[in-house]
Amino acid sequence: MKNPFSALIVLFLLGSPQAHAAGTQYDIQVNGLACPFCAYSIEKKFKKIEGVQKVDVELEAGKVIVDMAEGTKLTEPQLIKLFKDAGFTFKGVTEKPL
Amino acid sequence: MKRPVLIPVLIGLFLNSSLQAAPITFNTALAVGQGEYVLRQQFIGLQSGHDPSGLKRDRKETTALTALGYGLNNQWALFATLPYRTIDLDIGEASISRHSSGLGDMSFFVRYTAYQDDAPGKTLRIAPFAGLKTPTGSHRERDRYGLLPPSVQSGSGSWDPFGGVVMTYQTLQFQFDGQASYRFNTAADGFEAGDVARLDASLQYRLFPRKLSRGTPGFLYGVLETNLVHQAKDRYRGHSNPDSGGARLFLTPGLQYVTRRWIIEGAIQLPLVQNLNGKALENDYILRGVFASTSN
Repeated sequence: MKNPFSALIVLFLLGSPQAHAAGTQYDIQVNGLACPFCAYSIEKKFKKIEGVQKVDVELEAGKVIVDMAEGTKLTEPQLIKLFKDAGFTFKGVTEKPL
Repeated sequence: MKRPVLIPVLIGLFLNSSLQAAPITFNTALAVGQGEYVLRQQFIGLQSGHDPSGLKRDRKETTALTALGYGLNNQWALFATLPYRTIDLDIGEASISRHSSGLGDMSFFVRYTAYQDDAPGKTLRIAPFAGLKTPTGSHRERDRYGLLPPSVQSGSGSWDPFGGVVMTYQTLQFQFDGQASYRFNTAADGFEAGDVARLDASLQYRLFPRKLSRGTPGFLYGVLETNLVHQAKDRYRGHSNPDSGGARLFLTPGLQYVTRRWIIEGAIQLPLVQNLNGKALENDYILRGVFASTSN
């Protein structure tokens, strides 16, 4: 009985990433990002948005990478306002499927 | 005491705050986004014991200074600072010790970011500010010798407007902040402290990590600040005190560790030059320690 259970768990674990892989990843260029606290301030603003799954701030590259769940998206006007409110300047965004 | 009431209020604000790197010896450069709080708790120890009057005066002051900022939008921010002061003055020649402790004068100011130029990994901001120091501290404390002198009172009793301009240039490797300010001190009960003009500069240089990798690591900054402070002579009922006021130039080395969630910093202000009037008491040093964090 132990082996069929193990097989089910393995199948579940393998299937899990695929279930989350249908969203979109946004690669956002931001000017003015220059310290770790800047990063946290931006992360907090993104985490208030529905559908945001993950936020990574790459300080050296001046980029914010945001993973969105399937069926949700970020718009350019939304990003311009978000970064302006946080005190930074939005420069551009590219997106790709997760 | 009012302080126990303030603590839960400050903790409540603290739980919703975010903090930014900033100079150690002045608070006007604190960055704050729209709808965000900035909270900073400083502990300051001021020792003054070099007494040209021969009275062997020794003055110790310990201050817990809370600074709170709120971003109204991306250009306007409101700030408040509230000190809690403990002051001891010993006069060795007369074997007299005088003491006071309590809330000091609360200050409010508004800052407007008039110029902002952002580039990849760097930013330049210039912001004028204006505010008011309010007489929330007691200035009529007495002991067995009578009314305490103004230098031992927790508050000034006066409403004192101030203003200035602060600039910040921040890159991933270093940050420079400069400030020029002026405070017009007014009279209370016949005593008027001299106006204060200040020029402050702060350089924060990233020591660790030497090379940036992916993500957002904590930054260790070496800090070097200078503070030029000029105070006019105090006046009492129209007469100026010849043993008050003058100019002081401080050099302030320090360290600052900044992470995404908390900041810790320490510095010592050393007087390089003290060109004081008459027999005014000179500063020996000022110690500064700051701890702040944010939880969400």
